[in-house]
Amino acid sequence: MGVKRTALLALAAIGVLSLGVTSASASATRHGARGGTIVVEMSSDVDYIDPQLSYYGETWKLEEATACKLMNWPDKEGAAGGVPTPEVANGLPIISKDGKTYTFTIKPGFKFSNGQAVTAASFANAINRLANPKMQSQGIPFLDIVEGAQAVIDGKASSASGVKVMGNKLQVTLTKAAPDFLARLTMPFFAGIDTTLASQIDANGINNYASCGPYYFAARTPNRSITLKRNPNYKGGRAANADVIQVNIGNDTNVELQNTLSGATDYPSGGIPPTEWKGLVAQYGLNKKDGRVQVRPLMDIRYLALNHARPLFKDNPNLAKAVNWTVDRQAFSAQGGYLYGKRTGQILPPGMLGFQQQNIYPIRITPGTIQVANKYAKGNLRNGQAVLWAANKGVAPLQAQLIQYNLKQIGINAQIQLLPRATQFTEAGNPKTANYDVTIEHWGADYADPYDFLNILLDGKQVLNPQHNNYAYFNVAKYNQQMLQASLLVGNARGTAYAGLDSELMKNNPPWAPLVDSNDRTFLSGRVACVTINTAAQAGPLLNVLCRK
Amino acid sequence: MSTYIIKRFLWAIFLIVCVTMITYVLFFLVPADPARLAAGKSATPADVARVSKQLGLDKPVYVQYGLFLKRLILEQSLGRSYVNRRTVNQMVFEAAPVTAGLVIGGAILWMLIALPVGILSALRPRSLVDRSAMIFVLVGISAPVIWVGLLLQYFVGFRLGWLPNSGYCNVFNPPVGSSCGGPWDWFTHMILPWTTFAILFAAAYARMVRANVMDTLGEDYVRTARAKGAPEHSVVRHHVLRNALLPVVTMLGLDIGVALGGAIFTEAIFNLPGLGRLTVTSVESLDLPTVQGVVVFATFAIIIISFTVDILYAYIDPRIRLA
Repeated sequence: MGVKRTALLALAAIGVLSLGVTSASASATRHGARGGTIVVEMSSDVDYIDPQLSYYGETWKLEEATACKLMNWPDKEGAAGGVPTPEVANGLPIISKDGKTYTFTIKPGFKFSNGQAVTAASFANAINRLANPKMQSQGIPFLDIVEGAQAVIDGKASSASGVKVMGNKLQVTLTKAAPDFLARLTMPFFAGIDTTLASQIDANGINNYASCGPYYFAARTPNRSITLKRNPNYKGGRAANADVIQVNIGNDTNVELQNTLSGATDYPSGGIPPTEWKGLVAQYGLNKKDGRVQVRPLMDIRYLALNHARPLFKDNPNLAKAVNWTVDRQAFSAQGGYLYGKRTGQILPPGMLGFQQQNIYPIRITPGTIQVANKYAKGNLRNGQAVLWAANKGVAPLQAQLIQYNLKQIGINAQIQLLPRATQFTEAGNPKTANYDVTIEHWGADYADPYDFLNILLDGKQVLNPQHNNYAYFNVAKYNQQMLQASLLVGNARGTAYAGLDSELMKNNPPWAPLVDSNDRTFLSGRVACVTINTAAQAGPLLNVLCRK
Repeated sequence: MSTYIIKRFLWAIFLIVCVTMITYVLFFLVPADPARLAAGKSATPADVARVSKQLGLDKPVYVQYGLFLKRLILEQSLGRSYVNRRTVNQMVFEAAPVTAGLVIGGAILWMLIALPVGILSALRPRSLVDRSAMIFVLVGISAPVIWVGLLLQYFVGFRLGWLPNSGYCNVFNPPVGSSCGGPWDWFTHMILPWTTFAILFAAAYARMVRANVMDTLGEDYVRTARAKGAPEHSVVRHHVLRNALLPVVTMLGLDIGVALGGAIFTEAIFNLPGLGRLTVTSVESLDLPTVQGVVVFATFAIIIISFTVDILYAYIDPRIRLA
């Protein structure tokens, strides 16, 4: 029982730290009429709808509505929604003393849309299917801690030795203690699958399969449309308000806005033009109960990665501090339109375990802050020349010009290089091609845990790899060790350790200049009610909850 | 004639090899790793290496190109998308009819505008009709397609609500869940795209028709026909248009061939799932097999149409056949 309590504490801590989400939203949900069709628009097609393959943010909105998982984010806003909660698992798992073995008991009553019962094997099959090399899934990196998964990935075994089904129990043994394991299980990669899908090993993905969540995929026409229908066998506690969720694909943001205004579309998931938000807020108000404009903070950050492998920022923390004092976060955010995000000077976003509000750097630029920046920069400019990378699309070129101007204020002449986004981050993650001093980057958490932020983005052990996400090439042994230690902690200690790391890094040796924690901006048609947004689970309103007025 | 056809055929094969090779080389000059994209943002180097091997990206470029040609010739396969692993054949053959519908409908529309405007302008030079037509030509050629499309979409589609502002409806077998389908829905959804697509060409063709007709009107055989007392409408129809429109037919064939490669702007504005939109999304995601598939298809389209026009021309005009 003591071990189970540890898991509870870990989850409670995640929830407590999700309070940032609460203020904006807790009262937005109400239950409206059941039935009808909710029309959603996406700007581009999803990658796959196969749960073991899909990895686009847009696809996960659909997976959230169709999947059932051992652990899931509840259909709630704020702190309550930020705690991974047992869904098909009958309570929290029993965790062994060494923290490596998790035993889940399966709750009876869950069924797939084809009538098949959800069992422990449904989840074991999901893990083995995910690991199968023939699936070529992008979810494989999340399996690195499951014992025996590597043998499956390497084609040496057909099932992971660490995953065992014992009646209605599922036992998963890990190679090392991983307190973020329960959060990982909330990803659709680990959703339960029926025996038919389990036997379909196809890297092209399966478009027609039974689901055990509130909805199932009734049809998909690539590049055109996706249709979700209510799972007739669903007996879980989650809402399934509309009869049909119809997803239309391909319109640009202008048309999505027009269609939402005219009522042809209920939720423009692909977004609307950034310049329109201010007018919409003025017209419809912000975050009203079931209101048409809803804004919530995402677990997501936009930042300047300062390349510590190049001479300008190598062992030069004062210059990194100077950059943090000079960047105009307000102007940067303004380029993205009204309510683009919240300015920040720290690494962890609000709502994430370990987030503690810190005011190390200014979020508003004044002559005084420029003066402080210049004090830090003085004597540390080296050659004063920098290469600044940015994407060549959307507002990124404008943001790059702004950063260029900001850097000029402290004596750095930045030469802007605009790249296709795909090129920018693949080149930045390769030490042989990372020829920049500053790059404008963006990261959204795969799952709500600080490991997926600090360790993934700043652990120095990865910087020599040909592909990694540490775009600051930040590699300090002391911090590497602290990150590793924090990742092994649970509960409050985990949160405290990550909060301390965030603070210490930014105060003493900033790897980045954090800029903006992005918001999820949602606009809905006038015929929609039952709006629940849980950014721990996904961006945008939960589709299974949306209903017609 | 048969020697001529064989020569053209060999030239067509040579062109396909050149174009696909250039696409391949250009793609690999882009400094980005498709395997990294396909492996996902959290992939380790081992994951990327595995994906690279699975996609065949670990082989030298010339080997990859050789395999591509082998697949294309022996299996008529364009491969599979790196992004969603669908077969490129399927993606191209789903998109091609949409683009064909846009281009052929657009071509009919632009000819319906260009012919009367061009002919009337030529028959009454410097008249009010001619000057108005030339203003239309100037505006049509100068206005960017994307601007025209957005204006039509906003005013005619959204504000006035006369026509659908975007989307595509299948003539037959609409997909499950689709809100539209059938010939009428297809037609109404295509009116704005056709108009957008046709305006530039209509303007250019009107100017070309006007110039050709005016040139032909000055020919000796036209003067002879008039001197023989032939009525004006007969002179225009039998002597002027028959000769003046010959180059227009050639241009039409070539323009349709080029446009089949993807009417990118029009498809993007009106959300038509055609080859143009497929190209844009594939380029953005570094999806080489799909880009290559569209390039091969477009090359085929251009070559086949040019080939047909060449042969027709050789048939019509012996000077070309003998050259």
